[in-house]
Amino acid sequence: MSIPGLGQAAHAATYLTPSIASSVAIHDLQANSEWRFEVAIGRSIEAKVISGTAELFGTELALNHTYTFRGTKAAIFTWHGCQLEITGTCEEYTAEETPMVSYVNTHFALEKLRDDASGGRGECPKVLVVGPTNAGKTSLVKLLTAYAIRVGRQPMVINADSREGLLSLPGSLTAVPFASVMDVEQGWGSSPTSGPSPVPVKLPLCYYYGLPSPEDNTKLYKPVLTRMALAATSRLSDDLDIKNSGMIIDTPGVISQGKGGYDLISHIVSEFSVNIILVLGSERLHSDMLRRFSGYRTTTGDTITLVKLDKSGGCVDRDDEFMLQSREASIKEYFFGDIKRTLSPHTQQISFDDATIYKIREANALLSSLLPGGQEDGESELYEKVEPSLAMLHCILAVMYASPVDNQETIRDASVMGFVYMAEVDEKKRRLKVLAPLNTRVTDRPMVWGSWPEATMSLVG
Amino acid sequence: MADSHTTRLSYGTLSDEVADDYRKALEDLTMNSRYEISNLTVIAKENTEHALAISEALKNHIKQTSPAKKLPAFYVLDSVVKNVGTPYTLFFGRQLYSTFMEAYALVDNNVRRKMDEMLKTWKEPVPGSIDTRPVFPPEVTRPIENALIKARTSAVQAHQEHLRNQQQIMGRRPNPSPTPFRDTPTPPGAVRHAIPGAPGHGYPPNYGPQSYPPPAGGQPFPNPMNGHQQYGLPQRPPNQQYPNPSGAAPSWQQPQPQGYPTPENSVDTLTSDIANLIATSKADFAQNPWDSSIQTRLKALLDLQTILSSQKLPPDQIALIKDQVAQLSEASKPSSRIQTPLAPVPPPAPVAVAPSPAQQPTLSSLLGPGALAALLASQSATPQPTPPVQAQPFAPVRSPPPSHAQPSFNTLAPAVSSSTPVPDPASLLEKLRAAGMLPAIPTSTATPSLPLGTVVGSVPPSIMPPFISTPPSAARTPLADLPNDVVLRAASLKIPRPHLISSLYERLGAPCTQCGRRFQSDEEGRKKKTIHMDWHFRVHQRMTEAEKRGQHRSWYVDELDWIKSREVEDDQNTGSVDGIGLSGTGSGATSNKPPELQYIPVPDDPPNSFCPICQEKFEMKWLDDAQEFVWMDARKIGDRIYHATCYAEATKDGGGGGVQQVKRLTPEPVLGKRKAEVSGLE
Repeated sequence: MSIPGLGQAAHAATYLTPSIASSVAIHDLQANSEWRFEVAIGRSIEAKVISGTAELFGTELALNHTYTFRGTKAAIFTWHGCQLEITGTCEEYTAEETPMVSYVNTHFALEKLRDDASGGRGECPKVLVVGPTNAGKTSLVKLLTAYAIRVGRQPMVINADSREGLLSLPGSLTAVPFASVMDVEQGWGSSPTSGPSPVPVKLPLCYYYGLPSPEDNTKLYKPVLTRMALAATSRLSDDLDIKNSGMIIDTPGVISQGKGGYDLISHIVSEFSVNIILVLGSERLHSDMLRRFSGYRTTTGDTITLVKLDKSGGCVDRDDEFMLQSREASIKEYFFGDIKRTLSPHTQQISFDDATIYKIREANALLSSLLPGGQEDGESELYEKVEPSLAMLHCILAVMYASPVDNQETIRDASVMGFVYMAEVDEKKRRLKVLAPLNTRVTDRPMVWGSWPEATMSLVG
Repeated sequence: MADSHTTRLSYGTLSDEVADDYRKALEDLTMNSRYEISNLTVIAKENTEHALAISEALKNHIKQTSPAKKLPAFYVLDSVVKNVGTPYTLFFGRQLYSTFMEAYALVDNNVRRKMDEMLKTWKEPVPGSIDTRPVFPPEVTRPIENALIKARTSAVQAHQEHLRNQQQIMGRRPNPSPTPFRDTPTPPGAVRHAIPGAPGHGYPPNYGPQSYPPPAGGQPFPNPMNGHQQYGLPQRPPNQQYPNPSGAAPSWQQPQPQGYPTPENSVDTLTSDIANLIATSKADFAQNPWDSSIQTRLKALLDLQTILSSQKLPPDQIALIKDQVAQLSEASKPSSRIQTPLAPVPPPAPVAVAPSPAQQPTLSSLLGPGALAALLASQSATPQPTPPVQAQPFAPVRSPPPSHAQPSFNTLAPAVSSSTPVPDPASLLEKLRAAGMLPAIPTSTATPSLPLGTVVGSVPPSIMPPFISTPPSAARTPLADLPNDVVLRAASLKIPRPHLISSLYERLGAPCTQCGRRFQSDEEGRKKKTIHMDWHFRVHQRMTEAEKRGQHRSWYVDELDWIKSREVEDDQNTGSVDGIGLSGTGSGATSNKPPELQYIPVPDDPPNSFCPICQEKFEMKWLDDAQEFVWMDARKIGDRIYHATCYAEATKDGGGGGVQQVKRLTPEPVLGKRKAEVSGLE
């Protein structure tokens, strides 16, 4: 005699599994509509465009090619109508109301400016995208970038949002020129690896901030940003293709929320010589920006064009849990690659004495250090040189292109060589075990330890 | 057509008499009178033995009568074919295309809408009839429909903004329900609009409907209708000068042009030409106050004049306007000479209308959607003794000035967008240009469907305006030759522009089946695509190898290298270096490679960055095939890296002895062998 319920449950489970695996849905999308879907982290769906045309954040999807989406919230849009075949289950719906017309027109307007810039008339567009959190800023940046790539441009994308990485880990700020098609399955694509890549890799220049919000430590954020702007501008002036395509800058939502943040916007605007600001989904922010930049002149004497764009109804709030999981996923991807391509990181044993580790001071810490006491460099201290400790366990450290003997500002301004993961800290033996992407010694570089991305347990073991 | 007409009319006296009577009856038909129309239908029915004569009479009447009277005449035709059927359908069907299209080009928007509706019913069986065949066979109606669709499509595109902002868009096909003759042979109210008000107050009654694109589409400016119109109509026999039955007074336009000097290519010439045309048009208008096409033409000219006098236009634009005006005046001069002088009529109301552009500054209100059609129609409708003139409208097609490739369209919007305070000369130009560039639809009456078919076929995606149907030569920015009027302003950004979307899709060529990237179909594009596909293939092949060998993420490049690096088109690295970079730093380049292809991945921890032999720095570059940065011409021998060529040279000479310690650029100390504790994490 079977125990009531148990057998049935088992039966139901076996019954359920194949039905999920085999669930194939066909979606017929009208022209100008959008199929929005959310795939939970750890889940995946397969999507195939059977007929028509479709694009995902501006990148056209190939016909009859199976795309796999994992742990993402995205949308497939069609200008001409299409038929999608979806395998797997996800939360989804079809929307007819989208701001895509104004988004694509923004692209066309930028194209015109690029044409003008190529012809020696005017500056290339340097676009800053601002807006509250979850307004779709990154999606818009991606969209504009993808469109530009499609028509043969090479836009430079700047990520000033340390909450999420761009071809890098959270906590970093990056500048990436895009010349080739983006990886629709993998967000932005991948930074170079030692092997071939099915989607051309992108080459990011990466700086480390190591805190989630720019306002946590503006004294660090601003100079790092300035340095990145310097490098980006140098590249721009050297590289005609990029120069004619311009820049698109993504920002953290938090700087769009008030006074202190606005100062950071001004900082970005001046450092990158921004000449176009796209305000996404906030009337208030738009008028604040108008007020702030109405009389503003860029370094070339131009005024700033300010445009308000509607937020897409497809923007969903990504809760903390989802964001945390995304961060962990991006860390995993950095070291271990993705489904399409497995990467093999290396572990290294490092003696406490060989490691040079700087801890980022957070704003409050900075304040306390200003209190009377015998600190050497006073307020210029950005980092605190620390001994390895258990507190670092499972944290991410940035390996900087600098020398351990360099001063703090040099380290701050240095670009990131890569990241290591603190796998083990043995305080007794004074040894560290770190996970590095490859087996190069990292001890001859200073490492910076920030609180962002936070320690993650899920990486090894 | 003309010959058939004349020969057949002399069939027999009886036929001639019937036809004559019929013609007279038609001439009395000035409005949409149900009684008269059914009367004429009955006559046609009772005289089917004279069907040919009657149908010719009706056809000629439609062609020759004033635009205001065309619609009622069409209703007769409609009524006859629906209620009598054969043989009338046969006789009308032969030249329905020219009958319909020629009239369509001349009537105003309201009448066009009625004609659209009528055409629609012709594609369907007669309501209530047991015969399931359409009124006219599809091979008769389709050419007309195609021409109208084409007209509409390009119009809609160019005027997306416009249309969108019109409430009328909702009624694009107002009441398309088939109108059975028996119930509503004459759609009510049609005549009200078709007949303009008293001659005394020329514009006002027509102004409204004229200046907006009609719901039925087809009339707004870049109207292919104009294009084929201007091409096709001149072929008509010159005996059909219906627009000016009473002739114009030469005194209106002759003195003026003579009074002006004609310096080459100057604004003065242009203004004088325009003044000349205006005079002609005024005269025409005086003759024919009923003809709304003359009204609109005159108005357009007056507005053009205003623009020229109030704005300084770039010379190239002036040149372009000049071309158009030259054609117009060329066309109008001879026509007016042919006409017999008439007692001078004082210029009527139009003069008072001249200042109106100041109040209604946007361009579509300036020219009015029908205006250009009228302009061009008048140009071509009038006999042109000089054949070269006919060819001129095509000149812009062949070589559109690049600088005009993307004039702004949005200023064509009606007054709805308040952001355009001044008429934009660029958009005017665009209008003129677009009109001139439109592909011709030959209206050779004998075989209307054949040439039309070919023209339509040459423009495959229907959303492409005809004037951009030539494939772009510049593969990189396909947008360059599309009219792109988008500006970064909220209003402009909200307007859908389907023709621009094509620059992201079909105009980029066919997509790669693997990644969706598009390639042009020209030679260069094909070449690129081949390389691209090869690249896909190679990558797939290597993916499996690499998987076995193990791969890892590379370090990010440092600032300086990043600034110096260039994005190469990943897959367009034609140097088909076979084999792949060697992972990690452990192994050296395989020595069996040809020397020029030797490279190693940029070492993560290089023992030396100069070649110990030649003391030169290794050249770093991104190698697609290796998918990483490599040092070209480098070889690792033992712990040291050499230029492969240097090493080969040195070893060939038998002396590798020159190997000395090189001072390194990088700050980090030279390290010996990597410590054994390093282990891979599986």
